[in-house]
Amino acid sequence: MFFKKIFTLIFAFSFAWTINASAKTEIEWLQWFAAENTRDFYEGLVDEFEAANPNISVKLVTQPFGKVRESIVTDSAVGVGSDVLGLNMPWTTGFLKSDILEPLDKYMSKGSNSFKTENLVQAPIGKINGKTWMVPLNAFPFVMHVNMDLVKKAGFSKPPSSWSELKEQAVAISNLGDGISGIGMPLSSQPPSNGPILTFLPLLYSNGGRIMNGTSPNFDNAKVVETLNFINDLKKSGAMAPGFASRTGGVDLEEFIAGRSGFLISPGVHASAVATRNPDLNYDLVRVPTNGVNAYRVHGWELGIASKSKHKEEAWKFIDFLLSKEVNAKVAKASRALPGNLDSLDLVSGGATPVMKTQMNILSGDEPVEELRQAPSAVASWSIMTEEMQSMLRGDQSAKEAATKVQSRWLDLIS
Amino acid sequence: MRSAIIADLKKDMQKILNNISNESVPYLFLLPCLLILGSLLSVPLYKVVEYSLYDNVIVQKNPSFVGLQNYKEILSDTAFWKATLNTIIFTVGSVIGHLIIGTSLALLVNTDINPKARTLFRSLLILPWIFTAVVVAVNWQLLLNPFGIINYGLDKLGIISEPLDWLGDPSLAMWSLLLISTWRGYPFIMVSFLSGLQSIPKELYEAAEIDGAGFFGKFWHVTIPQLKPVIYGVALLDLIWTFQLFPLVWLTTGGGPGRTTEVLSTMTFRYAFVNFEFSQASTVAVSILIISAAFTIFYLRNEKSKI
Repeated sequence: MFFKKIFTLIFAFSFAWTINASAKTEIEWLQWFAAENTRDFYEGLVDEFEAANPNISVKLVTQPFGKVRESIVTDSAVGVGSDVLGLNMPWTTGFLKSDILEPLDKYMSKGSNSFKTENLVQAPIGKINGKTWMVPLNAFPFVMHVNMDLVKKAGFSKPPSSWSELKEQAVAISNLGDGISGIGMPLSSQPPSNGPILTFLPLLYSNGGRIMNGTSPNFDNAKVVETLNFINDLKKSGAMAPGFASRTGGVDLEEFIAGRSGFLISPGVHASAVATRNPDLNYDLVRVPTNGVNAYRVHGWELGIASKSKHKEEAWKFIDFLLSKEVNAKVAKASRALPGNLDSLDLVSGGATPVMKTQMNILSGDEPVEELRQAPSAVASWSIMTEEMQSMLRGDQSAKEAATKVQSRWLDLIS
Repeated sequence: MRSAIIADLKKDMQKILNNISNESVPYLFLLPCLLILGSLLSVPLYKVVEYSLYDNVIVQKNPSFVGLQNYKEILSDTAFWKATLNTIIFTVGSVIGHLIIGTSLALLVNTDINPKARTLFRSLLILPWIFTAVVVAVNWQLLLNPFGIINYGLDKLGIISEPLDWLGDPSLAMWSLLLISTWRGYPFIMVSFLSGLQSIPKELYEAAEIDGAGFFGKFWHVTIPQLKPVIYGVALLDLIWTFQLFPLVWLTTGGGPGRTTEVLSTMTFRYAFVNFEFSQASTVAVSILIISAAFTIFYLRNEKSKI
């Protein structure tokens, strides 16, 4: 009799557990965000979501940034991909060719959403092929990080705000010697070969130039050539750190953090790396010096849904949770970036550091530019820019020739 | 009479069955291994060859069969031939570097010195082999940085007046890569030759000394001939490994600057994971496979001739 009762109890528990387990839908979230200085933060967000949505569980899959793109493509090919995808705007064209992304328009038009579409940072939600493919989790402008000690040591009282001031100060800083350089140009061929989009594009946008004409490459134009000539001039005048062709974006950041570079043009989000790794650095952050136009390259972490996902509604529910005002503000603070949902801006600005406030001013006052969503195959097109700029800085070709070659090779890439 | 014949037949049959079962036992033991290795090797091998015959696989839902079109395109692409030439330079240069440094160090650590010191040197000299490619690449990048210790040393010695960009200058990048590859790969040769050196009878050296041979005489007329089978086998094995080497090149130069250090393995990766052209990547991979297979046949023939 006793054993019968025990058996019945076990059976009842197992049955209840099975029912519970089968009623729960698991979605997978592939991203690199959790690997970026926010220990346990995203795990906490997942717990919060699961507590509010007991029928959905979220599996957090974290990979390094460079690996996520490869994983999304290969996972999608074999049909085992994640449901919610961490995305980077320049990957868009390549992913659309392979039907990896689900259009988000029908989800974004839902009345039950926790956010208003007009409050989102607009660059990532701009339509391609008539549809929206991603939403912004956070955003950050490209800025110039400044080592104020070196600026003062070189005889200047404030950071440069124009191209001519940038050149003058960078040359003066390089002349300090002892391994100090004015500015680095990370043009290594090493993957992801993204030096040009880190440094060249922000300078181009501050010159009022563009590399795309809609979805067509437009690299061989006067503004591009003028910007390339300026970079060439920085090299020839001795303002640039030696070793541009072996300098990666990572090395460029490290050199700045270590106090060996006067200026670093990179995403504003790097302010957190500078602050945490070298708190003693006399550091400031300014808009990228302009040649007449206050425009910035806007960048951020985006979210999308895999077209092969079997749980698209649940995936959207999770994305909606991440974009809600309070949660999105938390994400922005944790990543020291600006929120993707600008409705959260007031929550983020409370207690914001001066560096963060400068970024907010740039974001609200200057013109945002994002072209890479429509550029041909992300990493391949960056490699081409890198190779031609290397050749130009070595003196093997002029800025005009470099621009013409990039244009021609990009056209080959999309043909 | 009839029953005797049947009995004989039964006996013969039994004998044959016993023979088969006895002979099949070793094959049965090998079967699990053959099945696992066979499926792990043959399936990917088949898929790579199959992929190379389509226009673009993986990223395209319905790829079309194009036969040998990808091979025609690759063979008429100057970038492929440049990468092939780079691969040959890198492979041959690395193997020569490994052989020279490996042999020299094997001779040094085989000398009759204090046993403790000898063990210490042997342990230290084998270290480059233990490090992963990532560690080797990052360390050499730091060493060869324009502000790194190598430039600093050369500057202090008055050999250079301004820092050299060892990994970013097209005229230096391949040489730098060869230096790194030599440093990484010499311990395998050193260890192999060391065991070979220890098996050479001392009497041969004594006889050579009586004949008036000096250090180089003994080296050319005793050591090299005795090590010949080891040298040939080890060099071929090193050739096969170095020919397909990917991580060290990719992590050190990424095939750059420009494409000056692009080898066939990095070209395969670039096609696959930079351009997402998996069929073209498979085509280059098949070309690596064919050349590696040729080296492997040479190696196996060499090993067979030793038996």
